[in-house]
Amino acid sequence: MLDLEMENVAVRYPDLPQPALDLPRLLVPAGSSLAVTGPSGAGKSTFINVITGLERPSAGAVRWKGQDIARLSEAARDRWRARNVGLVMQEFHLFPGLDAMENVLLPARFRHPRLPAGFRDRAAHLLAQVGIGTGRRGVETFSRGEMQRVAIARALLARPGVIVADEPTASLDGESGAAVCALLTALAGTEGATLIVVTHDTALSGRLDRRIVLTGGRCTGDSAMEAA
Amino acid sequence: MIRFILADLQRLQAGAMIVVLLVAFATALGMAVRIEERALRLGSARAADRFDVVIGAPGSETQLVLSSIFLQPSPLALVSGDVLKQLSEDPRVDHAAPVGFGDSYHGYPIIGTTAEFIEKSGFRIEGEGRNFSALSEAVVGARVPMAVGDEFSPQHGLAGQAAEEHHEMSYRITGRMEPSATPWDRAILVPIEGVWHVHGLGLGPGEEGYHDGHDQHHEHDDHDHDEEHDHDDEHGEHHIEAGHLGPPWPSDMPGVPAILVKPRTIANAYQIRGDYRTETAMAVFPGEVLTRLYATLGDARLVLTAIAIGTQMLAGTAVILVTMAHLSQRRRQIGALRAFGAPRLAVFAVVWSELLIVIGLGVAAGIGLGYAGAKALAILFARQSGMALPVTLEMSDLAFAGMLLAVAALIAVVPAIYAYRQSPAAALRG
Ligand SMILES: Nc1ncnc2c1ncn2[C@@H]1O[C@H](COP(=O)(O)OP(=O)(O)OP(=O)(O)O)[C@@H](O)[C@H]1O
Ligand SMILES: [Mg+2]
Repeated sequence: MLDLEMENVAVRYPDLPQPALDLPRLLVPAGSSLAVTGPSGAGKSTFINVITGLERPSAGAVRWKGQDIARLSEAARDRWRARNVGLVMQEFHLFPGLDAMENVLLPARFRHPRLPAGFRDRAAHLLAQVGIGTGRRGVETFSRGEMQRVAIARALLARPGVIVADEPTASLDGESGAAVCALLTALAGTEGATLIVVTHDTALSGRLDRRIVLTGGRCTGDSAMEAA
Repeated sequence: MIRFILADLQRLQAGAMIVVLLVAFATALGMAVRIEERALRLGSARAADRFDVVIGAPGSETQLVLSSIFLQPSPLALVSGDVLKQLSEDPRVDHAAPVGFGDSYHGYPIIGTTAEFIEKSGFRIEGEGRNFSALSEAVVGARVPMAVGDEFSPQHGLAGQAAEEHHEMSYRITGRMEPSATPWDRAILVPIEGVWHVHGLGLGPGEEGYHDGHDQHHEHDDHDHDEEHDHDDEHGEHHIEAGHLGPPWPSDMPGVPAILVKPRTIANAYQIRGDYRTETAMAVFPGEVLTRLYATLGDARLVLTAIAIGTQMLAGTAVILVTMAHLSQRRRQIGALRAFGAPRLAVFAVVWSELLIVIGLGVAAGIGLGYAGAKALAILFARQSGMALPVTLEMSDLAFAGMLLAVAALIAVVPAIYAYRQSPAAALRG
């Protein structure tokens, strides 16, 4: 379980006049859930990239449980992310030719020359929880909803302290979207992970503890402030 | 990770196949040129090795060598029989043997020569067989499908031409030679006197009826050695006596297309070559003629090598292009791997080893293909010429393939570095 503290974070791109992301301060308590919304180009994906260490901000600190990942090297950020972050993306990024089980285990295989004991059972358990059988069928034959559920199981494999999702329901129809919503919130709850989700899906954002709105890289709305 | 790589390769089958084929083709071409060139050099040098000096009528040296040593049928002008007689009496000469062509049997050339030649030129007669010792006896090369004791009648005409049989003359095989890997393996060796006789040249063992039915004069008949009319005059002594074959030669005998000479010493070889470069004779060292021939062929080889190298470079470039194009399609996949926490080195390793596996398959297939191609060519060549081309895969060929692979491994580093340096953020952006 991790808490996030962002301070004076700015992401600037050389050919953009103003920063793609400009957040003076944002706190996300451990175990809570946060929805990020906003128009296209508002900097939502940039926000995700920064908090997961995929991208280093031009300035500022991104502290997870006190550790500033903005100051880590690329390799160290990769390591940190592998250990602490479960990522779910709009494009599921499953690997065709491998079955559901192998897809769930894939990130671990890249980290460990030999799969540690228990990973297989954990993967089977997670697949059962998201309602996917452990057949040998390649994932390319799965429906989109099934693919996203496999991706959720994969995100949870290493018991990450935070689950980060970028538009997890955007490429799904309403019904599978709802199933994915339910799974994400429920599993984050039982795993005790902090949940940060970029979404336009009000059904999804409505289930979360707090909603912020990004516009032009700035935080222009925060349900926590309004409530206060 | 290995499973991931295999699944990945399976997914990329089409592109991988293209790369494998490109690499295989380029490798095979280079391999085949190397192998074949070496085989040709080795094979022809081996064939020329046994013969020190070849003497024929003035004309094309290459043709003389190709005809006498590689037994390629071609209408050679005849060198006077006196030259042969002189040579066989020359103290500097160990032995000198005529090579007479003309007839064939089922495509196997019948070569007239002497028993002495077979004994002294390093041809060995197999097992129970023995050298010929009578006009109607023959010794066959290892590739001639006849056994000791078989009888046959020669067919008129050069090997490979449609032929009528000379029913009047028949040979019995008394021996088979051990394989020599030279065109002589396809030869049927008979006493030169028989060849003369069949074509109405010179005399057989002094029988009146000997010329019957042999009016079809060969183009070589213009040499004034026909004996038909002087049969009864005083030149009786040049009639070869019944049963006498080979040297000493009579003083007035038919011409021969080529004479193979074995001098006693190297110095003698040079002297003889000098002495027999006259208006009426031409002496050559076959090795030297071959070297000159190689020099001409060398240009062809250079062209082939250049083509092979060009193909390899093209293949290399194509592989890079295919890989890079393919990598930019894979940007998101690679980004995703990184996003899930795969280390950069793992990404590098995946891209590099995938490419290396594909190229390695290509090189391996290319070695097989090149070797098989060279072998097939050599078999075709041997069937036609009898000259075995020793097609071998040597360490140097494998080293060559290894070098190609090493270059490929280096080339594969380029896309791998490209993948290594790619930002993982790409996975999340559209
Ligand atoms: N590598 C980059 N170089 C320059 N500009 C970039 C780069 N990456 C993103 N941007 C810009 O930063 C801004 C924010 O991009 P981002 O992807 O975070 O938007 P988003 O809120 O995720 O939009 P969407 O809802 O369409 O996914 C955009 O204007 C984009 O063009
Ligand atoms: Mg986005």
